[in-house]
Amino acid sequence: MRDLVKVYGREVRALDGVSLDVEEGAVHALLGPNGAGKTTLIRVITTQLKPSSGFARVFGYDVIKESSAVRELIGYVPQEMSLWSDLSGYENMLIYSKIYGVPRGVRSKKIEELLDFMGLSDASRRLVRTYSGGMIRRLEIAIALMRNPKLLILDEPTIGLDPGARSLVWDKISEFRRENGVTVFFATHYMDEADKYANYVTLLNQGKVVTHGTPSELKRLVEGNRVVIVFKGRVDGSKLSEIISGIHGVTISSFNDEYLDLVVSDIPTKLPAILEKIFSSGYSVSEVVIREATLDEVFIKLTGRRITEESGRVKEVVSVRKMIRRGG
Amino acid sequence: MRAAKLESLASMAEMELRRLRHDPFEILTRAVQPILWVAVFGSVMARIRAFPSVGDYVTFITPGVVLQSSTFISLAYGIALIFERESGILKKLLTSPIPRSYIVVGRALAGGVRASTQYVIVLASAAVVGARISSDPLNLVAGYLILVMACMGFTSLSILIASLLKTRERFMGIIGAITMPLFFASNALYPIEVMPDVIKYISLANPLTYTVSALRKLLVSNSYDVLQEILVLACFTIISLGVAVKNLKKIIE
Repeated sequence: MRDLVKVYGREVRALDGVSLDVEEGAVHALLGPNGAGKTTLIRVITTQLKPSSGFARVFGYDVIKESSAVRELIGYVPQEMSLWSDLSGYENMLIYSKIYGVPRGVRSKKIEELLDFMGLSDASRRLVRTYSGGMIRRLEIAIALMRNPKLLILDEPTIGLDPGARSLVWDKISEFRRENGVTVFFATHYMDEADKYANYVTLLNQGKVVTHGTPSELKRLVEGNRVVIVFKGRVDGSKLSEIISGIHGVTISSFNDEYLDLVVSDIPTKLPAILEKIFSSGYSVSEVVIREATLDEVFIKLTGRRITEESGRVKEVVSVRKMIRRGG
Repeated sequence: MRAAKLESLASMAEMELRRLRHDPFEILTRAVQPILWVAVFGSVMARIRAFPSVGDYVTFITPGVVLQSSTFISLAYGIALIFERESGILKKLLTSPIPRSYIVVGRALAGGVRASTQYVIVLASAAVVGARISSDPLNLVAGYLILVMACMGFTSLSILIASLLKTRERFMGIIGAITMPLFFASNALYPIEVMPDVIKYISLANPLTYTVSALRKLLVSNSYDVLQEILVLACFTIISLGVAVKNLKKIIE
């Protein structure tokens, strides 16, 4: 079994020569604005579309030539709602479990377990039409997990959800991953989501990979997280900066006898060490200004565009709502 | 493994029946039109004795009305796939491990089962207004199975049209344009002998004609001479299923 998902797609406009690897066991985010080609890429990997050229492999299986082997390994949640809204949550799971061929003996146990895990047991007899957006997503993920996939592919898993529902959806995904070690590949245009939940991020724009790396690697491209320390009284800036630059992961971007401007890789762990050094040198601090870098800044720096554009967002929320009302 | 596969086919019909159970109102509304055909159109036409060769007219058109009602439902079934194309259901089905042919066969079966609910409703309401329908359970079951098979064929046609046209507006336009001619160019309301030659030939190429004919033999004249009809309908259903399977992928492109 290969550890990689290798994608090389080339679709007119939608995907323009995309190459990327997904490491087994990782959470990999595909981050980009609307129309970047995220959904097209996902539809290629999930064997819905053939790439015009190039190839993609999932655990060594080619998505074109061995598409049925690929489909055995993946769990997929499309961006649009994929439930029958005029059936109950339990019935949706039951029908999908039969379609997926989950063996009869373990079926009902599995359904109960997953409903319970997703916190949907109480609502399982209600029609999906009455569910909130977050409940719908959790049920869809439960359905995708029913077959114990090796690779879980999520297209905009939290689109249109409020922050509480978003974090609940992610808590459940993370919990399941800890217990079952599934690889997660997801597309999103919420940069905070990619930053918080992904081990690895690929930035996509206009069908091309802009860059990729861990969230902190990417944020280093925009000088990373900034910490400005303002002192009480005058200090010997050059002496202090020498002491502090000894701390691993901290670089000085400017200083004088009133303040220090630092680039810090990981603020929660490094800041205490920095302050300790300052205090032990006999200085006192009047103010600490923290400015954490965002992936949005990385994206703006590299492409000149924002990831989230308000107009697109509003349209999306409206269309998601319409979709849910219309039902499956 | 084999049982699991059959189960994944049957589960789509189960899904359809569960939907009906949650919303049985649809069965009632679907029953209004066929009841009017039998009770009003049938009774009035029976009075003027337009087709003396057919015997009791209400009895004669009952199988025709069963077909009118159930082919309409089958042919409209594709709209469900268009909705599922707009939602994510089809994407999920197409990325699941079941073969694509199962999606079409399963959904055709689902459409056939859904449409065949009309069998019971129309026969019961026809009996109430005086149609003389066979009460032999064997004939009734045989008629039902033939109807389900034919409706699977019509549902596959509908799935095919949905796969090719993709939008609700275009789909409804085409379906509206073909259902009435299909009904009128058949032996549902009048015997083939009275038709002008052109329509006679069209009706002989119309699968609806063979289904009506099989039901009429089984339910009205208590005859089992339906082999020819079954063969024609089996060919029709298998070919429609095959073409629909071949084209299903187009629906998500």
